Amino acid sequence: MLLFTKHLKLSAIAVAGLALCAHAAQAPQRIDIKQLSKTVEDVVVPLPNEIFGALNKLGAVNWKEHVRTDKGASFTERPRIALLLGTVIADGFVAVQAEDAPAVKEIGQKVLTLAKGIGVGNSITPHAKAITEAADKRDWESVRQELDRTQNSVQQAMNEVHDEKLSQLVSLGGWLRGTEVLTSVVTKHFSPDGAELLHQPDLLSYFQTRLERMPEYKVPILHEIQEALVDVKPLIDVGNRPIPRESVKKINDITTRLGNGIVTRD
Amino acid sequence: MTPFVKILFGQVILLAMLGLFRLTAFASVDDAQTFALQAAEPYVKQGFQVREDYWGGDLGSGEKKAVRQQLFKGNEYWFWLGTEVERAKISVHIYDSDGKLAEDPDGWEKGHFAAAHVIPKTTGSYFIIVSVEDSPEERTHWALVYGFR
Repeated sequence: MLLFTKHLKLSAIAVAGLALCAHAAQAPQRIDIKQLSKTVEDVVVPLPNEIFGALNKLGAVNWKEHVRTDKGASFTERPRIALLLGTVIADGFVAVQAEDAPAVKEIGQKVLTLAKGIGVGNSITPHAKAITEAADKRDWESVRQELDRTQNSVQQAMNEVHDEKLSQLVSLGGWLRGTEVLTSVVTKHFSPDGAELLHQPDLLSYFQTRLERMPEYKVPILHEIQEALVDVKPLIDVGNRPIPRESVKKINDITTRLGNGIVTRD
Repeated sequence: MTPFVKILFGQVILLAMLGLFRLTAFASVDDAQTFALQAAEPYVKQGFQVREDYWGGDLGSGEKKAVRQQLFKGNEYWFWLGTEVERAKISVHIYDSDGKLAEDPDGWEKGHFAAAHVIPKTTGSYFIIVSVEDSPEERTHWALVYGFR
């Protein structure tokens, strides 16, 4: 392991050297996007902290007021657990922004419980332990990294047993909670740049398409989310026009309602 | 050479050949990802958070793949492409949703690696175009990772 680490470090130094001496060949200034339609890969859903990072650069955010650690209801339906798992991981990113160690630890345990409930507990036990240790040391960068690893491990474990749809629900839960927090912050301190962070029409279409392919999940909250996304779409798919304050508020109302639905029993 | 030494020598060669076969046969997107992460390593020290998630696949020489990615104004992104095929020539470039080149000019490509850098002017969808320009293999594994700060 030590040898591997040494090798990795040496390789990293070599790569850094490459970056200094290597240049990219000239790329075309313009390409025809329509011609790419058959070769486009699925979108990678951004983690909430990617959005929170951009939000932080617009001004100080009082992250503490967005920390949520309430236990919520417990579910037995796998789609509901998957959605909740996504939102709880997103809550972890909020707690990291707030540098709230007790909340991070509590969320780490909750993630573990939910992962066990869905049958992928083994894959994240080491991450949950690492989250607690890093939170004790207030090593926020490591906590962030472990939360990312947690989500990745959970989704990989689900994909391995062909539970891709549950994996997509984890992403959806995280995206909804992230959007709820983003719109809450921007509603309180409105700025056009903050509102622009909501310009994610392709991501929304991605989730709509995925939800359409889950008719076997007879869970009311999924139907509710599907209907709500139809309402959100025109508010964020505005082309080059700015997203107004009223739209941000509406999206916040919708995502808050959905967020409550995800954590509450029907 | 005694018969015993001959047999032993033969077995060692056979094992070595099997080892080489294993390396070639089981080279995968995971190996390509290792190289992509290797390219990202120096940037972590500069504060970039590298995502655990990644894209991967295989392409023939001259083939391209587009990856759609949501980017946020205010963040800075690097995309790192890796392959395990030593003499392959690979590239990665970033375009906005209108198909206009959006990357900064400090991207680079060399051997197993290529990288592209963007500070998005607007929040929205971007296309990351990965390409195997040339390769001695029929199909070349690739993996793309990204980081932001």
